[in-house]
Amino acid sequence: MLTVVVGGRSLLGSLSNNLLGAVKTTHEVIPRLHYNSIFSQQQRTFIQMRTNLKVVDNSGAKRVMCIQALKGRRGARLGDTIIASVKEAQPRGKVKKGEVVYGVVVRAAMQRGRCDGSEIKFDDNAVVIVNKQGEPIGTRVFGPVPHELRKKKHLKILTLAEHIA
Amino acid sequence: MRLEKCWFCSSTIYPGHGIQFVRNDAKIFRFCRSKCHKNFKMKRNPRKLKWTKAYRRLHGKDMTQDSTFELERKRNRPERYDRNVTESTLKAIKKIDKIRVAREARHHAMRMKGKKAIEQQAAAKELEQSIHLVKAPAALQEDPSLTLPKMKIKVSQSQMEDRMEE
Repeated sequence: MLTVVVGGRSLLGSLSNNLLGAVKTTHEVIPRLHYNSIFSQQQRTFIQMRTNLKVVDNSGAKRVMCIQALKGRRGARLGDTIIASVKEAQPRGKVKKGEVVYGVVVRAAMQRGRCDGSEIKFDDNAVVIVNKQGEPIGTRVFGPVPHELRKKKHLKILTLAEHIA
Repeated sequence: MRLEKCWFCSSTIYPGHGIQFVRNDAKIFRFCRSKCHKNFKMKRNPRKLKWTKAYRRLHGKDMTQDSTFELERKRNRPERYDRNVTESTLKAIKKIDKIRVAREARHHAMRMKGKKAIEQQAAAKELEQSIHLVKAPAALQEDPSLTLPKMKIKVSQSQMEDRMEE
């Protein structure tokens, strides 16, 4: 059972992500660093059940908890769709607290390999709420989104995005 | 395909290498290898790390301003493919590289100028001050010049050959 050492830079969101996700084992065996520096690296993994994600559109929800990752035995990655439960919502919005919604992961702290061999990773885990057909419920998307959405045919999200990484 | 520069050490990142980190304010940091990436995560300032180009430029160890750097400036307008232009560009890259290397060598030589004189002075001073560590004071009194006399030792040919065989 690998113990996860928390790095000094972790934000609250990613911290809770790691604690809740530590039930399942991490997906890579990285040789553990021998010094107990506070700067030992945090191991980022998939988005799985109980993962809290930030919502980056104006659909009304603020935080969402993943309850199922469609596609992927170990969890969802950048660009995948998930089923989530709304944990925190703005008072007047299109979604309410406790609703079960679909979402597309637009930012993931776990690095994803690109076809040119490089890897990309973001600062946090973020999701855009979509309907069953894959169209976003909100009308704006905040923050950068990756190219990977183009391949997954989430073009509407790309058009709404303010920056494509 | 575009060759990027590592944010930390300023070396070129070739395709298939490195990680790019996108911050939430949409600033992209590219790293050539995990060394640079880990240093970034540790929040180290590249201007303080001796092995980075940022430090070297800041402290005058490497050339900062030169016309040969103009070619490497980032251009965001795609150029229409023209065979002649491509050919001349490739030739120009080679030539400019050679010139840049020559200029950098000259900059380094300028920087190291006068090093020999300083070293000689330091050696003479050390000889003057610390000769008592090497030679006994009695012997020093014999020789008032306080320098080690130069002695020429004749080595015969056979002795040299013995040593070579060893």
